[in-house]
Amino acid sequence: MFSVLSYGRLVARAVLGGLSQTDSRDYSLVTASCGFGKDFRKGILKKGMCYGDDACFVARHRSADVLGVADGVGGWRDYGVDPSQFSGTLMRTCERLVKEGRFVPSNPVGILTAGYCELLQNKVPLLGSSTACIVVLDRTSHRLHTANLGDSGFLVVRGGEVVHRSDEQQHYFNTPFQLSIAPPEAEGVVLSDSPDAADSTSFDVQLGDIILTATDGLFDNMPDYMILQELKKLKNSNYESIQQTARSIAEQAHELAYDPTYMSPFAQFACDNGLNVRGKKIIFFFPPTLLLPLLLSLRNLKQSEVLLLQNLIGKLC
Amino acid sequence: MSPVFPMLTVLSMFYYMCLRRRARTATRGEMNSRRAIESNTRALPINVEIVQYAKEVLDFSSHYGSENSMSYTMWNLAGIPNVYPSSGDFTQTAVFRTYGTWWDRCPSARMPFKRTPPTFCSQDYVELAFEEPVYPTAVHILETYHPGAVVRILACSANPYSQNPPAEVRWEILWSEAPTKVNGPQARQFTPCIKQINFPTNLIRLEVNSSLLDYYTELDAVVLHGVKERPVLSLKTSMIDMNDIDEDEDEEKYGCGMDTLNKQFSIVNLREWPTNGYFDKLPYELIQLILSHLTVPDLCRLAQTCKLLYQHCCDPLQYIHLSLQPYWARINDTSLEYLQSRCTLIQWLNLSWTGNRGAISVSGFSRFLKVCGSELVRLELSCGHFLNETCLEVITEMCPNLQELNLSSCDKIPPQAFNHIAKVASLKRLILYRTKVEQTALLSILNFCSELQHLSLGSCVMIEDYDLIASMMGAKSKKLRSLDLWRCKNITESGIAELASGCQLLEELDLGWCPTLQSSTGCFTNLARKLPNLQKLFLTANRSVCDTDIEELAANCTHLQQLDILGTRMVSPASLRKLLESCKDLSLLDVSFCSQIDNRVVLELNANFPNVFIKKSFTQ
Repeated sequence: MFSVLSYGRLVARAVLGGLSQTDSRDYSLVTASCGFGKDFRKGILKKGMCYGDDACFVARHRSADVLGVADGVGGWRDYGVDPSQFSGTLMRTCERLVKEGRFVPSNPVGILTAGYCELLQNKVPLLGSSTACIVVLDRTSHRLHTANLGDSGFLVVRGGEVVHRSDEQQHYFNTPFQLSIAPPEAEGVVLSDSPDAADSTSFDVQLGDIILTATDGLFDNMPDYMILQELKKLKNSNYESIQQTARSIAEQAHELAYDPTYMSPFAQFACDNGLNVRGKKIIFFFPPTLLLPLLLSLRNLKQSEVLLLQNLIGKLC
Repeated sequence: MSPVFPMLTVLSMFYYMCLRRRARTATRGEMNSRRAIESNTRALPINVEIVQYAKEVLDFSSHYGSENSMSYTMWNLAGIPNVYPSSGDFTQTAVFRTYGTWWDRCPSARMPFKRTPPTFCSQDYVELAFEEPVYPTAVHILETYHPGAVVRILACSANPYSQNPPAEVRWEILWSEAPTKVNGPQARQFTPCIKQINFPTNLIRLEVNSSLLDYYTELDAVVLHGVKERPVLSLKTSMIDMNDIDEDEDEEKYGCGMDTLNKQFSIVNLREWPTNGYFDKLPYELIQLILSHLTVPDLCRLAQTCKLLYQHCCDPLQYIHLSLQPYWARINDTSLEYLQSRCTLIQWLNLSWTGNRGAISVSGFSRFLKVCGSELVRLELSCGHFLNETCLEVITEMCPNLQELNLSSCDKIPPQAFNHIAKVASLKRLILYRTKVEQTALLSILNFCSELQHLSLGSCVMIEDYDLIASMMGAKSKKLRSLDLWRCKNITESGIAELASGCQLLEELDLGWCPTLQSSTGCFTNLARKLPNLQKLFLTANRSVCDTDIEELAANCTHLQQLDILGTRMVSPASLRKLLESCKDLSLLDVSFCSQIDNRVVLELNANFPNVFIKKSFTQ
């Protein structure tokens, strides 16, 4: 059905006089993602697009495309709580919210808030916490609305340069802002940020923009110039190329994570915070996992699929 | 005499016998299909079957979830299934508020109306709109947990999406059956055999009765199969006739119109008979007693037989308790007008579910109450979407003796209208479940209605400060016996404390899904100690309920019959055992999603305490 419409549009445009960038047709996204979990298995797609403790979703409703990533906080494992349950359920809930149209495209924080509230409505006593980043592309107004809570985030790349990026929200080193549900005895002790604390931005996007969202596993391992290098290799906007690029970024980040000689941005930051780094011995505190849904705006409405880019930093001695 | 006459007679007799034999050996359907097959050879257009999921949930009587939520709410019934064919207690399904008979066995249980027709047993309903009006050929209901609640399916002739208000709103029963026990919680697709109707519909109503179920029933989706063109084949009405006793007023084929009921109410010219046979010998009161067993439609039919019985059937003494809920589809202003003269002494009136889609107007309702409200003691108006502020004003002015008022799910009543209820000082029972009652109105009601014994404020989302409400209750509602604070989002331990000290007679308290209550404040301990008469306590989804609370309940509330502690991680089997040993009357214990209570524990407890229904739900 979509292809018939898009063909019809192509024909109409051709007849009306060429392909113009300023026509009022909706933008659309082609998405791809790739991911790697902490359990070292490549690209394992758990239920609901989970990689390790991270989860993501892509959903569409009428004139909006919505992407989300959530990074489950690994520390819960020590208390017998599976960190991926919270992030996975949060993302699946946000996906359902979007599919049922219970959101306003210009208010991605609303999606987070509603999703978080729905988690509390579950009979099952969920525990855990995660960061979250929601990106909404409003196809009719050509605007991108974002909400970011924690140290996951997004980049918008235009013409080989980063034009927009999210800010990390950290309470202190290695402790990002996070949505959480704590057991009653730990209330007040466990960090729990309100969804309202999320940073929210809105800006215009153009045809050909590349939107990259990921958890800190990418940004902590791969500096911007490396990411941009990979993105430059992206020639056209079909699904296969995007998938290839996503995979290559993920794999590269994955390799860098295990390279003991490499001074990643995270390691640099660790040093800056007074953590000892001596020669080849680099000690990492946590293995963040990363998600990298890669988006591209396109002329033709095509089926969108998602691969997740994910990477991790392992403990190295 | 010519020989023609005997010949004709013989011939006609012969013809008659053949016809009768043909009718006896062939059903109506077969005969018609033969005709259809013959006509098919002349190439009729093929009737394409359209399959639709519900587009929108328009109305419902109750649900488990929160307003504005997607979890366990009725809105999940629209659209494609989210869970089916999996079984389990999932958030993405539609769940009603109650199940089983537990709500009939607690202090807040209400007396049922007598003279309810045996074919009407619906407890809840949901109305679904579909995109395209079709002639239904099948209805599939995807049930994903404890199936078997659906007892009736109806179709409406009005299109909810049409711009013009419909000329006539007609409801036809597609299928109806008494509730049957379905073993097990497994998901199933329920496809009852539905009747064919003669109008296209895109508004379907499901009515449910969960009294035989072991736990909440959960519905995932409803699929409507239908055709755009009216089907050629005749109707298979034989299967439904027995269940349609309610609907068949007379021999009219599609007798669901409201005129049929109204006709009976109208004054009919009756033949004069010289005597009434044995009826003249029976004392007046005895005939009244006999008639008191008839349902209202039967009473109306009987009234048309003779003048004596007409007099009896119109006697206001037959209308002391009147339930029009079973006939909700057909009650309108005209019916109320005809009933007026008979209901002057009415004490219990049930108009729940009636009057929607323009059937009853505010003026019609007001007129009725002006005439019949003076003796009214109990008024049920659940799901009355036609009610507005004027109606409440009329109720409170015209019914000075009112003791029970049910406004459950009357969500069109504006918040400030509830102020009028404070005028009814004799009020003993007030149900405001899912209404928009606001804080000042409720405080006013609590202040002036000091006789209140049963109060339901479940899902009243417009109240800002439940602690204040609880404090007022503790001060003024000394006679309170049951209190429903289901999903009262911000009540805290201070509210509970005031409630516990002030309302010593409390026997039933529903604090389900109140997230702001923390056990560490000692609020549950306080409750247990101050309210020894507690029979029902729901602490559903309060994640802080712990062993101490259970032990306090065991020590202090020995009359406890129903306890719900769904979803806490902090209760161990040991404290439950203490509770079960101490509370001999306990009949319901819901330990669903309590992480320390696994199935093995439940089995063990079941073995040792066989009289207790221990419920553990699952998602899987």
